[in-house]
Amino acid sequence: MNNAEIQELQAAAIQEVGAAPDAASLESARVKYLGRNGRVQDVLLALRQAPVEQKRELGRLANEFKTSVQAAVDARKDALQASASVASFDVTLPGRWHGLGTRHPVTQIIDRAVEIFGQLGFTVADGPDIETTFHNFDALNTPANHPSRDPKDTFYLDDTHLLRTHTSPVQIRVMQSRKPPVRIIAPGRCYRRDTTDATHSANFHQVEGLYVDRKVSLADLKGDLTYFARQMMGPDVKIRFRPHFFPFTEPSVEYDFSCHVCHGAGCRVCKHSGWIEISGAGMVDPHVFKAVGYDSSEVTGYAFGMGVERIAMILLGVPDIRMLYDNDVRFLGQF
Amino acid sequence: MRIPLSWLNEFIALAESPREIADRLTFSGTEVEGIETVGSTFSGFIVAEVRAVEKHPNADKLSICRVFDGQAELQVVCGAPNVTAGGRYPFAPVGVTLPDGSLTIKKAKIRGVESLGMLCAADELGLSSDHSGLLVLDSTWPAGTPLSEVLGPPDTVFELEVTPNRADCLSAVGIARELAAVYRTPLAQPNIAGVSEAREEQAPWVRVEDAVGCPRYTARLLENVTVGPSPDWMKQRLERSGIRAINNIVDITNYVMLELGQPLHAFDRDLLEEGRVVIRRAKAGEKMRTLDEQERELDPSILVIADASRPVAVAGVMGGAGSEIRPETRMVLLESATFDSALVRATARKLGLSTESSYRFERGVDIELAERASRRAAQLMVELAGARVVGGVADTRPAGAALRRIAARYSFVRDVMGIAIGDAEIRAILNSLEIQVVEQGGDGFEAVIPSFRADLEREVDLVEEVARIHGLDKIPAPLPRSTVDPQAAANQTTRAKAVLRTVLAGLGVSEILNYSLVSDAALDLFDPGNRDQRAPIPRPLSADQSVLRISLAPQMVETLGRNRAHQIEQASLYELGRTYSRGATGVTETESLCIGLLGPIGRTGLDRRRTVTAEEMFLWAKGLVESLARAVELPPLTVRPTAVAYAEAGASVELLAGDTALGTLALVDRRIRKEWRLSDPVAIAELRVAPLLANVLSVRTYSDIPAYPSVARDVAMIVADSVTHEEIIRVMREAAPPELETIELFDIFKGAAIGAGRRSIAYSLVYRSAQRTLTDDEANGYHESVKGALRAKLSAELREG
Ligand SMILES: [Zn+2]
Repeated sequence: MNNAEIQELQAAAIQEVGAAPDAASLESARVKYLGRNGRVQDVLLALRQAPVEQKRELGRLANEFKTSVQAAVDARKDALQASASVASFDVTLPGRWHGLGTRHPVTQIIDRAVEIFGQLGFTVADGPDIETTFHNFDALNTPANHPSRDPKDTFYLDDTHLLRTHTSPVQIRVMQSRKPPVRIIAPGRCYRRDTTDATHSANFHQVEGLYVDRKVSLADLKGDLTYFARQMMGPDVKIRFRPHFFPFTEPSVEYDFSCHVCHGAGCRVCKHSGWIEISGAGMVDPHVFKAVGYDSSEVTGYAFGMGVERIAMILLGVPDIRMLYDNDVRFLGQF
Repeated sequence: MRIPLSWLNEFIALAESPREIADRLTFSGTEVEGIETVGSTFSGFIVAEVRAVEKHPNADKLSICRVFDGQAELQVVCGAPNVTAGGRYPFAPVGVTLPDGSLTIKKAKIRGVESLGMLCAADELGLSSDHSGLLVLDSTWPAGTPLSEVLGPPDTVFELEVTPNRADCLSAVGIARELAAVYRTPLAQPNIAGVSEAREEQAPWVRVEDAVGCPRYTARLLENVTVGPSPDWMKQRLERSGIRAINNIVDITNYVMLELGQPLHAFDRDLLEEGRVVIRRAKAGEKMRTLDEQERELDPSILVIADASRPVAVAGVMGGAGSEIRPETRMVLLESATFDSALVRATARKLGLSTESSYRFERGVDIELAERASRRAAQLMVELAGARVVGGVADTRPAGAALRRIAARYSFVRDVMGIAIGDAEIRAILNSLEIQVVEQGGDGFEAVIPSFRADLEREVDLVEEVARIHGLDKIPAPLPRSTVDPQAAANQTTRAKAVLRTVLAGLGVSEILNYSLVSDAALDLFDPGNRDQRAPIPRPLSADQSVLRISLAPQMVETLGRNRAHQIEQASLYELGRTYSRGATGVTETESLCIGLLGPIGRTGLDRRRTVTAEEMFLWAKGLVESLARAVELPPLTVRPTAVAYAEAGASVELLAGDTALGTLALVDRRIRKEWRLSDPVAIAELRVAPLLANVLSVRTYSDIPAYPSVARDVAMIVADSVTHEEIIRVMREAAPPELETIELFDIFKGAAIGAGRRSIAYSLVYRSAQRTLTDDEANGYHESVKGALRAKLSAELREG
């Protein structure tokens, strides 16, 4: 065979291989050209018989013949396999894998709050559900006659123990055990003797924060709550303080978020006011510092609270607090 | 508290809109909860004089009136019971529309009698909800006077929520004072003139026996009183403030209370035995009929005003029916006193009586106010009831106390607010609240606190005053100053719980939350044996929430049952919460995890309809707990049969990770499932959270990846049913060298070919050396010793091949 004949053969082989309609004819074409008794032997014979000065060029051509035909075979094989697999089953059948579990919306809100305040250097603190009246009331400067102490509103277990009405006693426990600075967040269950309805539950969750250091100010409180509000509710949410009264803070405020739904224009969610009442906050009262042995001439601090269920209802649009405790999987699966 | 804006305008000139004023009040600390427009221009309404009244011939309850409208007499049919000849009433002539737009008066025939207009009750004028009779107008108004002249222009009423520390704001003057500070305009006080301030040197007709309960008692005597209706302007103010007008004397005491904040009480002095009052504790067994016509049982915890023999008022709460102002009252003893707030609170609670008076005393009434308020009321009685003041005032308070002074720093005010507010501005705000500022040089000053601000005691209290008047909206919201808290121990439990929750979600288990309070009945259904360890709630809201939960399982099963009732076929749920158990040292709170499975939860694909067997359900739950244990880095789980009170017999185990008891796994007994109509198996795992968290955050260290190939050998055997999988594994492990890497169950078979009471069970064993490639001979040798042990220890029949 001369050079031209080898190149012709190569072209014919590639054409035949590429046209093979199925795996069997592809294999027979491969054997025909590259097999032990295939046409490749003619090429190799020509190489062996060629004069020395032609061997170099013929060797190159023989090699090219083998690699290019083999490449054509491989390519055709891939193509045939690919078309075969598409046709072999119904890709629209439902997938088969066990489902993913969901987290309860209340836990999701708590985790998110912990995460956001974590970015500001707050760490989580925890305390018991069953508290002493000292931690829940006395140390928080709540006078003996304060309505929140009324057995009508609070679950007492005995004269000195109760189910905590807020997570503020955690603040007392932390301050009793540590020197300032303190920057904690306390999520947890709380209890009030509320008759359950669409917005009240005897059993609910709070997240409270406490920051005590030198020269902590109302402006710090506003700044940090604004950061939280924007992370939690939306980037353009604003915060508003209204003066209020709580025994454990002075000055005390109630804080509102601007409505994340209507951006302040007024809608059903914010009862057309543009603002949504969230909860209370303020500067830690010196009496509280005294109760835990902090020197209020050295440090100031702020504290805030928020109801987790309330935030969940506002943010997720849940219309009734009882849905959060019904545990209907058709509800839980939405979040 | 309700206050008409027109009343505030008597003390302070405000041009702003009601909405604007309400916002300024809310944002300076007195929340305006409602703004109500009352009254109307009463266009077309006039004062009418009823000249004659006769019965309607065809209707018992109707009368036919001859009404004079100032020009002519008209015939009007009227249904009100109080219509009388000679009376003056609001009248809507034909063509006039009621203020609420609901009706335009037309010429009408009522039961056959022509009627040319309507005589109006208060509700028809939009003044109140009172429809008991016609609104009675003062008889001095000439017929034909436009009603707007009588009732005045429309007004705005604010509904205010005053915080408990601000007793001084429970009055028109108190609110006006706030507005004066907010708007920096002057405040005018009521002009009190014409009544002597002189004290009675001797006043034996007033005796205080409990000076702690009653630190100040003032009394004035007024004679020649004519009791009658109050003038319309006073009735209107009272009614707009939510207080019913009664007669001029009682109305004046209420009016002054609303104006100045001092509750007052007027006694008919002629009904006081010996004409004197004694302020003392009630005697055991003493009784009294209060003004609300209730017979009250008194006791020595209650402070009363008594005459020579019997209680005539519950101090600070309510007067008695036996000494009240009557139409024939001629001489009034006017009480204006200060009562201890805790005492009034306790009494009000004990008697279940909350009044305008007790509400104010509970919050604290300025002790300096008593005499001035008495003088103001006496002045009004002189002006409006023809009274004559007899002598001076009996006053048990020796002299006014010095005003409180608070040392403060301008810089502290700025620091706590976090805002650069100047000294002059701070001073101006405090002055506007009637707090005097005495400079101490440099940064320091002394604040002189007026007597009505008992809530101001400390430097920080002054900060609040400055902040709320300056405006909380002016406080900036700077970026957080995030610094590292060097003492903060990162809360590992929180992190570990988050990992646990993530793992559970990944395993397809969804989180639920149930209440901490449950019923004893629910707990009894699951385990009547743990009653002694339960922590009950005294005086529960309901039996459903009467005890702290000792286990999460009952509510979990209930949750599954409720979901099944909603046609949910399968669910895998968990709750992470506290359980509570009572012991000798009190109640222990334990973080617990409960997992509940229902339906063909372990199957995927098209195999969901086949009935779930108990074994399947148990093994799904076990597999789930095993995966969980692996994910939280616990050693492999083992089980120990144990009795769980709510379990199906034989289907409950204790779960152990190494030596650590994690909790229990059980299939819920049919009897319990029936409560929620759950006919198929339900698996419940109850685990303690603490051991699950022990290794979650541990740092995992590298171990070598096997470098040499392994050799696999199978073993198939027939054993008695009583031989458990765990036993077989243990025997194989004991017999094999450390080169036995893994044992995997790959087949179980029961059937006639094997014989009753036996099963065929097969395992794949993998051998591997860490040092070299095992030869076939070595692997065979290991495998033979395993087989030998199975034959010898478990009587296993090995199936060769
Ligand atoms: Zn909105």
